[in-house]
Amino acid sequence: MNSVLRRRVLYALPLPVLFVSLLLGPSASAEAGKILVWLHGLLFRETAAGPEEALTGTIVWEVRMPRILLTFLVGGALAASGNALQALFRNPLVAPYILGLSSGAAFGAALALTIPLLPVQPTAFGFALFAVALAYFLARTRKTVSVVSLILSGVIVTGIFTALLTIVQFLTDPYKLQTIVHWTMGNLHNSSWAKLRSAAPGVGIGVVWLFLFRWRMNVLAQGDEEARAVGLNPERERVLILIPATLAASAAIAVAGVIGMIGLAVPHMVRMLLGPDNRHTLPASFAFGGAFLLMVDTCSRTLAAFEIPVGVFTTLLGGPFFIFLLKKARIGWES
Amino acid sequence: MGKLEAAIEIKDLSFAYDGMPILNQVSLEIPAGQFTVLLGKNGSGKSTLMRILAGILDFDRGEVQIMGEGIRSFSSRGRARVLGYLPQHHRPVFPFSVEDVVLTGRASYITWVPRPEDVAVGIECLERVGILHLKDRPFTELSGGEQQLVRIARVLAQQPRLILLDEPSSHLDFLNQAHLLQLIRELVDAELTVLAVLHDPNSAFLYGDHFVFLKDGAVERLPAAERPWDRDFLERIYETGMDSIPYGDRALVVPRG
Repeated sequence: MNSVLRRRVLYALPLPVLFVSLLLGPSASAEAGKILVWLHGLLFRETAAGPEEALTGTIVWEVRMPRILLTFLVGGALAASGNALQALFRNPLVAPYILGLSSGAAFGAALALTIPLLPVQPTAFGFALFAVALAYFLARTRKTVSVVSLILSGVIVTGIFTALLTIVQFLTDPYKLQTIVHWTMGNLHNSSWAKLRSAAPGVGIGVVWLFLFRWRMNVLAQGDEEARAVGLNPERERVLILIPATLAASAAIAVAGVIGMIGLAVPHMVRMLLGPDNRHTLPASFAFGGAFLLMVDTCSRTLAAFEIPVGVFTTLLGGPFFIFLLKKARIGWES
Repeated sequence: MGKLEAAIEIKDLSFAYDGMPILNQVSLEIPAGQFTVLLGKNGSGKSTLMRILAGILDFDRGEVQIMGEGIRSFSSRGRARVLGYLPQHHRPVFPFSVEDVVLTGRASYITWVPRPEDVAVGIECLERVGILHLKDRPFTELSGGEQQLVRIARVLAQQPRLILLDEPSSHLDFLNQAHLLQLIRELVDAELTVLAVLHDPNSAFLYGDHFVFLKDGAVERLPAAERPWDRDFLERIYETGMDSIPYGDRALVVPRG
């Protein structure tokens, strides 16, 4: 019963977090009280709003709303993708950031920012998929992939794409360079409805597709030979899960830049609360990942006078968490 | 054996790995409704033969029929409903509950997520193996003997007509081995066909019906006058001296230094 309750709390968490995030922010015209007045007016009054209320409305609707929705979507996509990758590689230490997926997507998106002809989303997806495939095949010896070799090959692939990204930055003009640098730090401060529209299809398709495959992840997690024995082809299933996992994460990265450690840490926290059954952890990772990033982002834009890029925040939080996971023996990573 | 219906028929099966011949012209029949034990020294090709029969390895030459149909004509799901396979032991990473591990045995019946009837089959199989009380425990925290029982329950959840077990008892202590072999015996008596690789010929003689010996990738035929537990025959198979101790209508053997 206890676990049912915990599941419900995780699924319901996004609603209050979304609402509170909407009320908080640095702008004086949109402090919590004024927003509540505006909301009340919107719902219960029939006459047009005054100019001050209209300003509040504009800030809420054009600035804050797309930002919190995009933040939620990005966090959810990264966490759901991380959850799927961990189940897929039977490896609790992999995540988009660790497999090279993030740096591949970042390189693709940066390339598309410099070369106007390239569409951002598909280019990011293409390079992300290439990066993951490269990391996987580098790590694969005699049809098996060990935890350590997968992390090492992820480091190598990340290095390669980070170097390529540096070349793009080096060759690009100063104005675009600033955009790229800001964006690689993991940034949500110039969110807009347009960005939300560009990320939503990839994240939506990816997450729904992963949701359909949630129980098959349980079968794959038992081992390749075990999956084959019950009639599932593990190689085929891996590809069928890798594609949506890459799609969701790269769509998020293409709009928000590299936001590290959400994909690693959130599925872990969810598993600690709910156990390893992916039927529950996959939707919960999405809900909690979105809520978690939203909380971090809301802090990052309200606590300090200047805005710290949210990617810096999550990496600072996630680094110690990764070390904690490595040290914890019961993760079973040595096998 | 002609009067028994064959669950598996193998004709002139050959298999090589990286140019190294592993199985050479193997021909045999596994009778339905019996407990057949595959014996032989390490490297004689037992596990390779099992993995070919399980559809995990493809073979070079020959013919394999499962329940009268060519093994290559099965879809992977279709095969999993007829034939259950227990690979050699492997330690999973995530602490799935026993119930969830057993439920994965239903994969060939499930499109996206298990239905209530799949859960019911899983529970029934746990009961049949006698470990329903372990249902909610994490698989990774069980003893080796308990884990093996869970894996047997998972194979049964496939509702197969025959099951292949690769060294099911090799990591178990003395009592757990006996318990597991007794369980397999009961499954066979309830009309399941079992083919198992066992290391210990004595366990085989205590519980098995039918014995197949592999030596250097080929089936070693039993001479007409001899019986499987005869000392001379086993000395040839295992290439070592043996002492034989009569036991009931059979015999047990002890290797001589």
